[in-house]
Amino acid sequence: MHNRNKLIDILISNISNAVVHRILEKATLNPEIVDWYRKEMINSFQIAKKYRDMINPKEKLPEKNIAYIRDKILRKVKGELLIRVNKGYENIDLDKVEEEIDQVLEEMKVI
Amino acid sequence: MVVISRVSRGSKMDQIYLPRNREGLNAGDYVVVEALEEEIGREKKNGKVNERLFFYGVKDLEPIKLEIIKKVMKILMDKRAFIYNNIIITGSFLNKGFNFKDIDLIIVGDKINGKYLKGILEEKTGIEFHINGIKNKDLIAGLESDPLYEMMLNKCISKKRFVYRTKRKIDYKILDLHLLKSKALIDNFDILNGGEKYYLVRNAMAIYLFIKGKKISKESVDTEVKKIFGVNIDKIKDNLLDRDDFIRKYNSFYDKVFDLIIRGGRK
Repeated sequence: MHNRNKLIDILISNISNAVVHRILEKATLNPEIVDWYRKEMINSFQIAKKYRDMINPKEKLPEKNIAYIRDKILRKVKGELLIRVNKGYENIDLDKVEEEIDQVLEEMKVI
Repeated sequence: MVVISRVSRGSKMDQIYLPRNREGLNAGDYVVVEALEEEIGREKKNGKVNERLFFYGVKDLEPIKLEIIKKVMKILMDKRAFIYNNIIITGSFLNKGFNFKDIDLIIVGDKINGKYLKGILEEKTGIEFHINGIKNKDLIAGLESDPLYEMMLNKCISKKRFVYRTKRKIDYKILDLHLLKSKALIDNFDILNGGEKYYLVRNAMAIYLFIKGKKISKESVDTEVKKIFGVNIDKIKDNLLDRDDFIRKYNSFYDKVFDLIIRGGRK
């Protein structure tokens, strides 16, 4: 079983993946079929939730953890999106990244 | 005993293959060979079923599954307010045996209330359903550009005939979106069960085959997985992989596919 720091790192990877996925969905898909894509057997959001529950399921995380997690996710997500923007992907709204991250963190009860 | 199978062309004689493990229909027995459409037509006369079904990539099917499908169609047809373009049954239900969790249903139409229909079907059959409603134009677009649609519809049974062999359009953004899902296997190897690992590996492989212009079916994907990763599919599903070896190969494969997508999407 992983230690807490390792769990947090894995949580960060999964939340980052989930956020990138949501942003790319909005940039790529016809809104009518977004639900279709979300109804998948397994996705990063569901996995992230499992890790979140392993860390501290009942309460919000301590402030210092939240700041660290948020910062790391922001860097990872922007990094992933910039790779794509530099290759010519359109409709990727980098201004919405922080908003998407906060939404996912709220859904996960991290904040 | 009733078996549903396809007529295969032979060099001197055409044949119908029967599963070895069966009750009845022993070698030397006399049998009646009849087209499925005629059987359904006879049942229609007796008021049992309304219309024929169309089989795509389904070589044989347990008769009890056909009964379930007919019942599902009847339940849906009894809903007068239900307007659809097509009803398609797909997924593991059509695989040999009874190792399925639910029945995957794609209902093609403009306004499909999947949740409502799921409730009705589950109440009346006792079987779990996974229903996706989709417009016809989105289904066609999906078949052209989405490897997962192709894999799903490579083996299905539908109420109406549909054109499922379309010309592929490589949409790198859609492929990127799909591949991202499989990234989860790298970080979460220890937490995922065998079924989940298989799902993510299969997903990445389907994308790879799609880009390479190869056929996408459960069989072709499984063959390539075995070839590239050097493991039997059952080993993945049973969660018996050598962690370090598999992650190393998977990382390499994932990067290769991602590179193909990013290079392909470059303007």
